[in-house]
Amino acid sequence: MFFQLLINGLIAGSIYALIASGFSIIYTTNKFVHFAHGSTATVAAYFLYWIFSNFGLPLYLVFPLTILIAALFGFLVHLLIYLPLKKRKSSSVILLIASLALMAFFDNLMQLLFGADVKILSIFPHGKGIEILGAYITPIQIVILIVVLLLFFGLWAFSKYSKLGKIMRAVSDNPELAKTTGINSIRVQHWSFVIGSAIAGLAGILIALEHNIEPAMGTHLMIQGFTAAVIGGVTSIPGSIVGAYVLGLTENFGIWFLPSGYKSAIAFVLLLIFLIIRPQGIFGINQGNRDQKM
Amino acid sequence: MLSAFFIHIAVIIVIYAILAVSLNVAVGYTGLLNLGHIAFFGIGAYTSALLTKNDVPYIMALLASGIFASVFGWLLAKITSRLKGDYLSLATLGFGFVVYAVMLNWSKLTRGPLGIAGIEKPNIFGWYLKGSGSYLIFASIIAAIIIFIIYKIVKSRYGRLLEAVRDDAIGAQALGKNIYKLKIQGLMISAFFAGIAGSLYAHYISYIDPSTFFISDIIVIFTIVIVGGLASLRGSVISAIIILGLPEMLRFVDLPSSMIGPMRQMMFAVILILILMFKPRGLFGKIDLE
Repeated sequence: MFFQLLINGLIAGSIYALIASGFSIIYTTNKFVHFAHGSTATVAAYFLYWIFSNFGLPLYLVFPLTILIAALFGFLVHLLIYLPLKKRKSSSVILLIASLALMAFFDNLMQLLFGADVKILSIFPHGKGIEILGAYITPIQIVILIVVLLLFFGLWAFSKYSKLGKIMRAVSDNPELAKTTGINSIRVQHWSFVIGSAIAGLAGILIALEHNIEPAMGTHLMIQGFTAAVIGGVTSIPGSIVGAYVLGLTENFGIWFLPSGYKSAIAFVLLLIFLIIRPQGIFGINQGNRDQKM
Repeated sequence: MLSAFFIHIAVIIVIYAILAVSLNVAVGYTGLLNLGHIAFFGIGAYTSALLTKNDVPYIMALLASGIFASVFGWLLAKITSRLKGDYLSLATLGFGFVVYAVMLNWSKLTRGPLGIAGIEKPNIFGWYLKGSGSYLIFASIIAAIIIFIIYKIVKSRYGRLLEAVRDDAIGAQALGKNIYKLKIQGLMISAFFAGIAGSLYAHYISYIDPSTFFISDIIVIFTIVIVGGLASLRGSVISAIIILGLPEMLRFVDLPSSMIGPMRQMMFAVILILILMFKPRGLFGKIDLE
């Protein structure tokens, strides 16, 4: 039982980490909460379902295409909705409300286009799985764990060594200073939407393979991805990944004590606790987002 | 048939007008961006439904739903008192979700996803509100009283203090005002009337389940408040009529009912985004959203 919960926790954590890290990439350079980030994964998952069941394209084409669509989706959302709002000097709270509206829009659009029922993508049969220490793990779950590990290594190398990665860190540290050294911050913000959304697209694919697809999944994903990011510190990408695993494990061990329906509530209770006690998260730096206590 | 339909829409508009006006007390006047307002609505609805099921007189249940919601308003204000900006709105959203999860999972009390059916129509000292028409009159009277009370509050010295908390917390503090207390009171007032709206809703629809109070439904209430304008009671009422009336046009187009629900939600989202883009102060708004 313990090992099964551990494995379930790690797999859930991996998927949350995909959402949380993309969310963090967007947050660090844009400094607002992009709630519709979960919808990017939903759109990607439905696109995968649509293209897989209508066209006989080979898988090595279908998966990259889905990620590309997710990246394009993120880019367009930023270009058409957020950028005009930013140009109006809207506060981050306005952008947050706009992103909530976007999330509601796309969740309902998916329901309108594909119906409210749960879609099952049967690319790979689930099978019984391999037994390790009395716990079962399916091949897809092993793939998820490996893909996520590789991605995080790549992400770390990208932000440490590539030019764009360094620029992104510069913009997130001090946008004003970055601007004075000639960095085009809007271009960097575009790139973070593209990269973050591409990762969300990958999340969409893996979720479609591991679970089923339904219109409201984006909302639930976002709750968990966002919580993970806050636990770890929204301004820190490694932090949000650690936060995701903390959340995944807490949720899965939590159902030892609570009915499974409370699973998502656990996320929000953790979120509330962290927002109150340590809003900057485990790894974040306190940037003075809290009022002094009156 | 048609008139029954219009009465139904009117009752819903009246209930949402109360909800929007009460949210405006928190968001518009006190400057607390509460994304968990729908939770107070839900708490009010469940309180009233469960009390009347246990033979508590309706008027008592109506008041209790406001008071109980207000207690939760106090709780939310307490736990989020040190947060502001993004962090405050996300904590309140989190609160809304926790309340939803409890409604869904505390089956012994709320019957979980099955919901509570057969909530009786109000009986006020012998005035039995059986039909929709009489319910519309009753709800309108309550709404008028609530809007009058809120109007009196926000126009009073006390209301100015709330606005001072919103505009210049440090300045208010320098004048010796306890802004910590004022924020808590602002949220409690807001929650109280949302709870009353919840009770009105429960006894009108006569069936409630957690899905009505899911956090995504906050979009509708926010659309109403922002389109109407922050810190404008008149705006919230007029906007409730427009925002809830408009999508009803969809019913006259020949569409399957499974499409109407999502299309309504999409319309609200589009209206909200457009107003944020082109007229963020709304129709009658006096202040910017910050």
